[in-house]
Amino acid sequence: MLTCENVTFRYEKSGLPVLRGASLTLEQGQIGILLGKNGSGKTTLFKTILGIRRPSGGAIRFDGEDLLKMPRRERARRIAYVPQDIQFGALTVFDSVLMGRVAYFGLKASHEDYLAVEKILRDMGLESYARRNVEALSGGERQKIAIARAMAQEPKLMVFDEPTGNLDIRNEQLIIREAKKLAREKNISILSSLHDLNQALAFGDKFFFLKDGVVKYAGGPEIVNEDVIQDIFDIDVKMVKIDNQKVIIGGNNYEH
Amino acid sequence: METTYLLRRKHKIYTLAILGLTLAVAALAFVCVLVGSSDMTFAQSLAALGKTGSAAQIRIIWNIRVPRVLAAVIAGAGLGVSGLIMQTTLNNPMASPSTLGVSNAAVFGANLSIIAFAGGFLSTGNNLNNYTVGANPYATSVMAFLFAGASILMILGLCTLRAFSPNVVVLAGMALSSVWTAATTILQYYATDVGLSAAVVWSFGDLGRATYRTDAIMAAVVLAGFAYFMVMSWQYNVLLTGEATARTMGVRVDLLRFTSMLLASLITAVCVSFLGVIGFVGIICPHVTKKLLGQDHWITIPVSALTGMLLLLLADTLSRSLGGGSALPVGAITSLLGAPFFLTVIFSGKENRRC
Repeated sequence: MLTCENVTFRYEKSGLPVLRGASLTLEQGQIGILLGKNGSGKTTLFKTILGIRRPSGGAIRFDGEDLLKMPRRERARRIAYVPQDIQFGALTVFDSVLMGRVAYFGLKASHEDYLAVEKILRDMGLESYARRNVEALSGGERQKIAIARAMAQEPKLMVFDEPTGNLDIRNEQLIIREAKKLAREKNISILSSLHDLNQALAFGDKFFFLKDGVVKYAGGPEIVNEDVIQDIFDIDVKMVKIDNQKVIIGGNNYEH
Repeated sequence: METTYLLRRKHKIYTLAILGLTLAVAALAFVCVLVGSSDMTFAQSLAALGKTGSAAQIRIIWNIRVPRVLAAVIAGAGLGVSGLIMQTTLNNPMASPSTLGVSNAAVFGANLSIIAFAGGFLSTGNNLNNYTVGANPYATSVMAFLFAGASILMILGLCTLRAFSPNVVVLAGMALSSVWTAATTILQYYATDVGLSAAVVWSFGDLGRATYRTDAIMAAVVLAGFAYFMVMSWQYNVLLTGEATARTMGVRVDLLRFTSMLLASLITAVCVSFLGVIGFVGIICPHVTKKLLGQDHWITIPVSALTGMLLLLLADTLSRSLGGGSALPVGAITSLLGAPFFLTVIFSGKENRRC
């Protein structure tokens, strides 16, 4: 279980506050979606959870343990990151996934690490990619490799920063389906930011709406409604039901 | 065991590359020892290598050529590897062993020693006997090293005050480099013509200055750095994924950067202090290696070392055969030789880099 309590973050030089006391709780196995305008503090909140940035105040715990005091390698065995702009370097897919094991092996991979990577590649249907250069793959394929790499960390929580940001509609669906499948099968929690509200509804169990550096609304799909979206994004939307599924349409009416 | 790693089995090209390069280095080193500006025949050289023949010939082989070839091998490896590590840790393809201003600081130190203190006692190194009697032949190297070391510490010190942003490091290195260059220019302006020419000649890289003792010192530093880099090879691989991602995978990025830059700069400082400035090896060799073999540091570290050796040996052989009796500056040859090859590789349309 991930808990953030009153997390604050301000830039040292300018003193500009980005997070003003953000709190959230994510149960084990849940898929949480972080929603909010650009600049609302989503990325910063991720960075504090991932240990890339140190919060100015507040507490972040994972299963009761203080994440802020945890050594980097220990944290990496619990929380894995799938960034938006994925870089790998010119390595094979196998070696790129093996990187996820560095939190375990440190300096030199062992037999167990190789086996773990082989298993992940087989489970995800990536065997045929194993010896290819990861830099020569397409955006969707690279995203999948990044998920495989995160899986190699054997995490309890995976953090996705805009996982579908650079993908076409088909790959968007593939990635979300893959992530959801992994979360359900292995009881891994996911915390993800997403721009597309309909995707968010299809993907998530729990929703956190961030505004001005605090989590203003949190809850299940039932809290995603026209008023909340109006308040957070400052746009008018319509919510309809198609095949018993909530669908959000519109935005402001454009003048023709 | 073979079948379990089926998905990882690497291209045979790595083994071939390392084996082939090692053989090439060994062969070239052997040829270098046998070929030189004295009028010894091939057979005489071979005999002298086996410690038979005239005392002069044995002296030429064992006191001049062997230390020189060893210097090429050691410095080539050191500069090639340092360049690679600098590029990875600073996430900047233009980074080189001299990025922290090391070479320019060393040149200033040497200039200070030659111009201000010794009045141009230094020879080009081809003739071991014309150091001014009584002048310590190491004084200039020590001075060069002190300033190079000071430059490294200054930049690393500045960078630990602020977050270790690679771009800041590169810019700070550039700024400091130009300060050293300016100081050198001022110093040279007031120099006597003898001092000035000695100082300028010092700054041309020259492997002929090497002795067994300097080789041993260089070897110790290069080996220590090489061992550290190899041990850390997986950490460097992770660093390729970007600073933030590397942190989330458990890498202590700042510490890795600090130690890597310190070691890479030390290697450069030692080599430059003993041999003068040998440019471009640290840029060409790692880039060609990465372009052809991918970026797994377990492979690129040794291959960059081998290509560095090869380039310096080739350059030295050429510099000695082109100079007509006195060797041309090897630093100029490395660039002349390496740059066209480098450009060919960079511009070749090979899209699918191996890895």
